[in-house]
Amino acid sequence: MRASLIVIRALVRRALNEILRVPGAAIPGVLAPTIFMLGLSSVFGEASSLPGFTADDFRTFVVPVGLLQGAGFTGAATGVNLARDIEQGWFDRLLLCPAPRTTLLTGVVASAALRALLPATFLLIVAFSLGVHVPTFVGLLIAAALVMGLACAMACFSVTIALRFRTQQAAPLMQIASFIGVLFTTSYAPKPLLTDWLRTVSDINPVTHVLEGVRQGFVGGVAWEHTWPAFLSIALMVLVLGALAARGLRRYGV
Amino acid sequence: MAAIDVSGLEREYRGGLKAVDGIDLQVQAGEVYGFLGPNGAGKTTTVRMLVTLLRPTGGRATVAGFDVATEPQKVRRKIGVALQEAALDQLMTGRELMELQATLHGIPTREVAGRAQDLIGRVGLADAQERRVGTYSGGMRRRLDLAMALIHAPEVLFLDEPTTGLDPTSRATLWEEVRRLKNDGTTVFLTTQYLEEADQLADRVGIISAGKIVAEGTPTALKAEVGLPHLDLSFDGDADLARAREVLAPLGEVRDVTPPGADVSLGVREGSSAIARVVRALDDAGLTVGRVELVEPTLDDVFAARTGSHLEGAGEAGAAA
Repeated sequence: MRASLIVIRALVRRALNEILRVPGAAIPGVLAPTIFMLGLSSVFGEASSLPGFTADDFRTFVVPVGLLQGAGFTGAATGVNLARDIEQGWFDRLLLCPAPRTTLLTGVVASAALRALLPATFLLIVAFSLGVHVPTFVGLLIAAALVMGLACAMACFSVTIALRFRTQQAAPLMQIASFIGVLFTTSYAPKPLLTDWLRTVSDINPVTHVLEGVRQGFVGGVAWEHTWPAFLSIALMVLVLGALAARGLRRYGV
Repeated sequence: MAAIDVSGLEREYRGGLKAVDGIDLQVQAGEVYGFLGPNGAGKTTTVRMLVTLLRPTGGRATVAGFDVATEPQKVRRKIGVALQEAALDQLMTGRELMELQATLHGIPTREVAGRAQDLIGRVGLADAQERRVGTYSGGMRRRLDLAMALIHAPEVLFLDEPTTGLDPTSRATLWEEVRRLKNDGTTVFLTTQYLEEADQLADRVGIISAGKIVAEGTPTALKAEVGLPHLDLSFDGDADLARAREVLAPLGEVRDVTPPGADVSLGVREGSSAIARVVRALDDAGLTVGRVELVEPTLDDVFAARTGSHLEGAGEAGAAA
């Protein structure tokens, strides 16, 4: 167990090393959620005055969407980075080490969880400086945990795609899950204001629960009824997508 | 027990292409085994199966006593691998990469730095260890790759075309390291397309073509199979060639066919050590030798004799020397 943790830590450190040594490469992923929040709130800011809108301020309402987008981008980037490692032969080096495959997968995915905090932190700094409601400590903690969890789930998905196609050209496919997952939710408006089909989709979309779990700290207050479905959804996504990634890894080289 | 034991190993891809078609080989502990063949012959596919990166579709292989298909994790603990392309993270320094490799191989944390330093020094990269690998030359990367493959003191080392694309100096440095490893008792499985490399380093050579082993043995024995070394002689002035043949007949096999530029060709079992004796005998008979050239069979001759074609790297052998 301790040996596995050491390997995971080494792999996470390598992934973080890239951000430190080529910060320019991380900038788009860090800025995008903030730009999205600023642009969307400028265009649709008045939507908060619609009857049935649950937040007084659209910016506050949409910040959690930016947080999840950042997690989604980071998760997708993990798959792209893995595809690059496969193309360059580095992944073979990992596979040649005697650590169990699940340890290698955990190391790759865990790095996404930590890196997802970077765009989230930048977004929150900008948002709070613009007057977005500051959640309680517990609300922030839940948001951070869910952001990290979603980054893990999306990383598992993108890793599965990377292991299947083994090329960075599959990057659009890696990003599609987070686009669909985050946007087909209550991201732009509360459920009562959604069209019928989108309401139906958002009902079955587990990311909706995650979004509401993050949003509860910003809009209203932290409540158990929003917290447990969010964590359950994350757990299921990580379990299912993680199993797919593990299967992809087992089949790699067969 | 053989360090590598391969029996009927196959790898068939979708569509029916057999990259490796039922090969058998054994490599004894401490032996350097040269796996020679042209591009696309199946060398890398074989290595990828032996190092557990690719699952065989037929046959069986054990490395260090463990089955590559059913006990891959145990195999990985015993082997070091430097693949064809030195896959290194260009953003990391040489030292960081060595330490990461040590960690990935489960070396205790307290030993990581020491082992990394030892090997970095051994491959001559101590001065460059704090530089990012992206700034390294091709030769430096290969040496670092080799050092990384050795970090956990493997019993069996796989080197997949380790000198392809290297300049002669870097190539010679790597050859020296392989010799040192052999002296230390490490089993080395070396794939190469360079004849000279196999000839210089390998105790035994397996030649692969189209997924099958077409010849196997010591370089000397393999070359002997295709004929004796021969001396191509040319004489000054209007020498009596019939007399020359008569003098040479007891000293070796006078060949019926003489290559362009030579007057007589003489097959001699003992190779270069026959030159002095031959020249002296001709001199005693009043025949002055103008030029003598020793031509030895090469592994390319062996390959050509077995397959009817030549190895692609044959022309580069001289450059490798």
